Amino acid sequence: MSKTTSAFTTAAELALAARHEIIAMTSAAKASHVASALSVVDILSVLYSGTAKITPENMNEPDRDIVILSKGHSASALYSVLALQQFFPKEWLAKYCDNDAPLGGHVTSKGVPGVELSTGSLGHGFPYGLGIAMSRKKSGGKGRVFVVMSDGECDEGTTWEAAMIANHHELDNLVVIIDRNKIQSLTFTEDTLKLEPFADKWSAFGWQVQTVPGHDYELLTKAISSQTGPSCIIADTTKGKGVGFMENSVLWHYKPPSADDVEKAYEQLRENY
Amino acid sequence: MRDTFVKTLLEEAKNNPDIILMTGDLGYGVLEDFQKELPAQFINSGVNEQTMMGMAAGYASTGKRVFVYSIGNFPTLRCLEQIRNDVCLMNNPVVVVSVGAGYAYGSQGYTHHALEDIAVLRALPNMEVIVPADPAETRELTLAIIASSKPTYLRLGKSNEPAIHTAPPKVSFGTINEISAGSDGTLLFSGSVGVVAVAAAKELAAQGISVAVASMPFVSTIDVNYLRNALIKGPVIIIEEHSYRGGVGSAVLETANSLNLQGSIGLIAADQNNLSQIGDQNFLRAANGINVENIVKKFISLKVN
Repeated sequence: MSKTTSAFTTAAELALAARHEIIAMTSAAKASHVASALSVVDILSVLYSGTAKITPENMNEPDRDIVILSKGHSASALYSVLALQQFFPKEWLAKYCDNDAPLGGHVTSKGVPGVELSTGSLGHGFPYGLGIAMSRKKSGGKGRVFVVMSDGECDEGTTWEAAMIANHHELDNLVVIIDRNKIQSLTFTEDTLKLEPFADKWSAFGWQVQTVPGHDYELLTKAISSQTGPSCIIADTTKGKGVGFMENSVLWHYKPPSADDVEKAYEQLRENY
Repeated sequence: MRDTFVKTLLEEAKNNPDIILMTGDLGYGVLEDFQKELPAQFINSGVNEQTMMGMAAGYASTGKRVFVYSIGNFPTLRCLEQIRNDVCLMNNPVVVVSVGAGYAYGSQGYTHHALEDIAVLRALPNMEVIVPADPAETRELTLAIIASSKPTYLRLGKSNEPAIHTAPPKVSFGTINEISAGSDGTLLFSGSVGVVAVAAAKELAAQGISVAVASMPFVSTIDVNYLRNALIKGPVIIIEEHSYRGGVGSAVLETANSLNLQGSIGLIAADQNNLSQIGDQNFLRAANGINVENIVKKFISLKVN
């Protein structure tokens, strides 16, 4: 966790360090979405600790793996992971949302090494990633495309349009990972707009579907490495994971942690990891 | 215009595998040759403009020049946020191509009339809005667009537009192309509606008034030198097949205002009094105020003042 001179090689270490950064930066910036970031950070840590072939060294190569975080409101998770993996200086995290700072409240790509697409309006990342995957497929290009989405985001029609297109064009280089924490903006997903039977929906659209515990590094890695067609991984997650008082609550979709909350959250991270 | 566009694109795409043509399931009788000859460069996305536009942006991010083809409001208003965020913000080299400018699909009803697209697309940062006058200009502009990598909106008419240029047009980025000279003022138009401008110039000539007629295909990058000189000469009437609100006329007024250009500018555009009115293109142009009589009246009133 105190590693500063080289990149993390295990998802567990990377995710724990990132959790500390997420809590600190959302508190300092008085920003929302800390729980969304804690929900998705294990998925991102698995991808950026070697599962996806993307590093600061190859990030401009045309055949790199592409990771798109479509749920742009969990920007603090992506920024933390990228900074810890040395895509850009870690000092930038402390200026999250500051005037004229590089890192905006929603995922910002301009001038931020490693970020492929600016996101923040839901339902954009999947079609965009689909376009990259299709271009590669049609031109014989290499490299996979990972799109990380939220479950609430699947309310967007573009999700299902993109799912149809990827299946029709047999894009076996495209992986969608859904952060299935079962909470969206106002309440639980199933009370807002039923997604279940969720896995069946993806199967019916022709996708290879795997449902895995979304905070289990080994099982996530295994799911990502097995792919026969367009692949959907439903990562069963807990919103606010790792900090008990933030877990599974709509409140922490919005509330920025106070200084006191930060101390308590760090204490819980010590206990839980 | 659409046939000239596709033919030009196909010729170029044969030698340039980075040119991609995407359609939202439209282009029957127009796109088949392209699809047949270059299947690896052709994608029919299905009826899903929002996803198609996001996909086009991602596709273009891999170094391709992606042309997204559909009718009127479908590749523009229907997927506006994808154009805004995924194309313009990311500065991806996508070309949005709409066919059926203004009232070209007149009898098909208001859903198929493209009358707010210029206003909306020219409001987007990084977006170059281009409106050809006739097939010859369409060809030159298509070549210019292929040579560029800017996000672009190409607003095409439909089919069988008459030639407006009397000599082959030489297009360079941002220039206004004069069709005929005149000493008392200028009729400046964008698009195939130029035929109305040409007719109005003839009517003015019959009344002893000499006006220049010029095509302004570049709506986002305005030819300031031409505009300045035209305003020194006399009134400038902007003629467009689009709503008054935010269209080509607004673009010219904004430019004149920001540069503090002196002179008279008049607008001729669709007044949209009856959205449900059905009829062919000529009928609806005239019924919405885009006609020779109004242009002549407007010019004379500005000339006298």
